[in-house]
Amino acid sequence: MTGVMARVGRITINTLVVVGGMTTLLGRILRSLFPLRCDARETWRAFYKVGVKSFPIVILTALFTGAIMVIQSGHYVHKTGATSLLGWAAGFAVFAEIGPILIGLMFSGRVGANNTAELGTMVVTEQVDALRSLAINPTAYLVAPRFLAMTVMLFLLTAMGDLFALFGGAVTAKFMLDVPVWIFLQQVMDAQLLDEYLLGLVKGTVFGMSIAVVSCYYGLTAQGGATGVGRAVNASVVAAAIGIFVTDFVVALMWGIL
Amino acid sequence: MTAALAAWIDSSVRTWDLLRQTIVWILRGALRRRRRQVLQQLYEMGNRSVAFITVTLGILGMISVFQVLKQVEKIVPDFSMIGPAFIQMMIREFGPTIAGLMIATRVGSGIAAEIGSMVVTEQVDALRMCNADPVDYLVVPRFVACGIQSVMLSVYGVLVGVLAGAVTAYLFWNVPFETFFRLDLVQWGDIASGLLKAMCYGLAIPVISAQAGLETRGGSEGVGTSTTRAVVNASFAVVVLDLILSGFSYLVLF
Repeated sequence: MTGVMARVGRITINTLVVVGGMTTLLGRILRSLFPLRCDARETWRAFYKVGVKSFPIVILTALFTGAIMVIQSGHYVHKTGATSLLGWAAGFAVFAEIGPILIGLMFSGRVGANNTAELGTMVVTEQVDALRSLAINPTAYLVAPRFLAMTVMLFLLTAMGDLFALFGGAVTAKFMLDVPVWIFLQQVMDAQLLDEYLLGLVKGTVFGMSIAVVSCYYGLTAQGGATGVGRAVNASVVAAAIGIFVTDFVVALMWGIL
Repeated sequence: MTAALAAWIDSSVRTWDLLRQTIVWILRGALRRRRRQVLQQLYEMGNRSVAFITVTLGILGMISVFQVLKQVEKIVPDFSMIGPAFIQMMIREFGPTIAGLMIATRVGSGIAAEIGSMVVTEQVDALRMCNADPVDYLVVPRFVACGIQSVMLSVYGVLVGVLAGAVTAYLFWNVPFETFFRLDLVQWGDIASGLLKAMCYGLAIPVISAQAGLETRGGSEGVGTSTTRAVVNASFAVVVLDLILSGFSYLVLF
């Protein structure tokens, strides 16, 4: 009995420590963003690294996502013969839910994990301490640019990825279901999915923020050499996935109520 | 561009080779010798992922039902088909695939981090010196355990997602549980397709991640890089396999 209590207590305390650490990190990031006090060159480099390097994998994922959604809705179309529903079903699923989530998870793997590995290496090789001893604030110099870059870039990647997903869906509709490309695109247009598209963009932005905070937190708290960096990356991607789903839920609920 | 493509082809050739070696070791009876490691990996990958899968798939079920009902409410206020269609989609597509992505995230990065840090601390070389093959000793138990637990976690994930969806439908729109829990639309093909997907993901993830881990070079930076590569490659493999298997089951099973 005491063993169980001790475990519950330990898990609770660990969770509180992590959540509290992330919250204070977010606070420190926001403080160095208002007024803007982050290094311009480092920010530019972060934008390049985050956006350009993750572009191919995100676009490929989006293409496949659209194709999968069309195949899955194809089952119903095949059964009921209601071809006109295809554009609505695939477009709705991609814009509102699956597009942002898959793009976010891919982004978390490519950029978030990379970020944790980079910051973790800097921590265990004492480069962050070196920055501090030069009176450079690590939050303003290292963390804030990444936060900015991930938030902006995941927004842009979601905006573009959704369109690529439609393209992938259109091609699949042509080859698997024999629906001409322009008819599919016309259906998506007719479905009036602007609300869902905007919801997806809001989700993408929020996912970017949560991935940035989580990956920077685990990077900065890495300790103990190579093994520690590996463990930090592992913990970071797991926490980022949980963060994506939790913020997804919050955003969807707020959007539904407001 | 060509250099990147060549490197990609090179590493995928080596991944297939690792898969071949793993299967050869299993056929040679590696499982009987490695029973303890397999059990340990089963615990590590399965039992310790349950909480993670519960949170992610549960939330996925809640959001999906919430958003679809919100949309359907505007068109036709008839919720009787939502439950069956949702259950069918969960079994065929979202349950296995999202669970697969979660396993790629948690288990894939774990395998790469563990094997990668063993490589840089020269433990893998030590194994070789003791005439123990790293594939036999490290990869085979993870391969088998992940293949089994991926199926288990997918089934569990579908259950959690459907339950969470039913509760959401009941709380927000008063859809009774009897209307929601109907298996009218579910066919054997759906179940077969879902299980096939889960198994393929479970077998692909450990090989890809172990390959990334075994190729680690340099100190802590190398471990970080190979862990990142494992997550990206394993997640991407899940998406690609999903497309292939969805197309396959659409053309063959129905």
